[in-house]
Amino acid sequence: MKFFPGCMIHNRYPGIEKALYYVFEKLGIDISPLEGSSCCPAPSITRSVSSELWEELAQRNLKLADGETVITACNGCFTTLLEVSEKSGTGDVRHVAEFFYTEIGVEELKRYVEKRLPLKLAIHYGCHFFRPSKHKKFTSPERPKMLDELVEVFGAESVDYRYKFMCCGGGGGVRAGATEVSHDLLRRKMDGIVEADVDAIAVICPLCMNQFDNGQKELSELVGEDYGIPVIHYVQLLAIAMGMDVEDTGLERHAIVSHSFIEKLVKGEKVED
Amino acid sequence: MNEEYLRKLNTCIQCGTCIGSCFSGKVTALNTRKILMEYLAKGKPVKEDDTIWFCVTCYACQERCPRGIPLTDILIEARKELVKEKGLPGRLKNAFGFLAEYSALVPARDEHAKLREELGLPLYHSQFVDGARDEVVEIVRKHLGGVVR
Repeated sequence: MKFFPGCMIHNRYPGIEKALYYVFEKLGIDISPLEGSSCCPAPSITRSVSSELWEELAQRNLKLADGETVITACNGCFTTLLEVSEKSGTGDVRHVAEFFYTEIGVEELKRYVEKRLPLKLAIHYGCHFFRPSKHKKFTSPERPKMLDELVEVFGAESVDYRYKFMCCGGGGGVRAGATEVSHDLLRRKMDGIVEADVDAIAVICPLCMNQFDNGQKELSELVGEDYGIPVIHYVQLLAIAMGMDVEDTGLERHAIVSHSFIEKLVKGEKVED
Repeated sequence: MNEEYLRKLNTCIQCGTCIGSCFSGKVTALNTRKILMEYLAKGKPVKEDDTIWFCVTCYACQERCPRGIPLTDILIEARKELVKEKGLPGRLKNAFGFLAEYSALVPARDEHAKLREELGLPLYHSQFVDGARDEVVEIVRKHLGGVVR
């Protein structure tokens, strides 16, 4: 299998990649980086300018995999590569979350857990993981449950919160092009998350992660709103539960760092044989 | 306007499910239905309406439309026509400038490359692979010649 990092993981949150290799090694699945791959490119913003460009770059990335399955851990990369592969009939594209859920399964994943993480998590799927359902056939376009079940693998609780299925405000070029709008949307979402009193926000997309992570920092600077809720990718959580050092996940290099959260991750609950 | 999109837009029953499902429309002046109906009536997107760039493309409207109209896809199509006519909105120009220079909409700066190094990860995105970067940049410039510098 080939790992497709895209810009956000390769260039902003490489800890996700490190964690992903750790998990795949534990599972005994061979995976290596898709060398020379470029920006996927981002689905909505690129198609808002040129669908020909979107398709040609995606095709180039797919060809690099030379028939191997392409694994992504980003909803944007997943959308672009999946849709173009369907259109052209070339390439097998998977998002790591649905791959774990469908191909490995929750019960099997539990067998690899060395440390339980009894955390309260606000789960955020990210719109492009489950919509449009025309392409994302594996789950509900309204209320997916996959990730809620996936965090139970290591004993975490998915806490229901207001606006759970609302966009983070980062997609569609809005974070880049209409930053104020993306901040307004983020505040709504964060208000709902604060009410739910969680340890962290768990995501499966680095663009959502960036919006929650750097977005919170920006809100603090711009309007003095200090939410201070850390954000973590599911793969990072799973890797820690499978025994990876918290330090290696790059978590301490995120914009929002919570020492009490890191302590909980370090400590966890050891699983007895 | 794309013929199939036009035919589908014409089946709209004005139920308002799209605007009722719109998250961005709750915090901004974005009115998906208005944008699309004007697009339909005039045969081209309304030039003055910048709210079209407030859509996060969450696809909630498209998913819920009882007539199965691909609303988000049509809105993206409308954006594309606007870009042809009046260029990219200011801040998006930077992002595409990065794509045309570094082969990444979000390029790494030194600090990001350093973080990868600290984590023991190689630099293999086309931004860091000379031949690959040139190949990608050429594709980007071929399609975006007039849109980015």
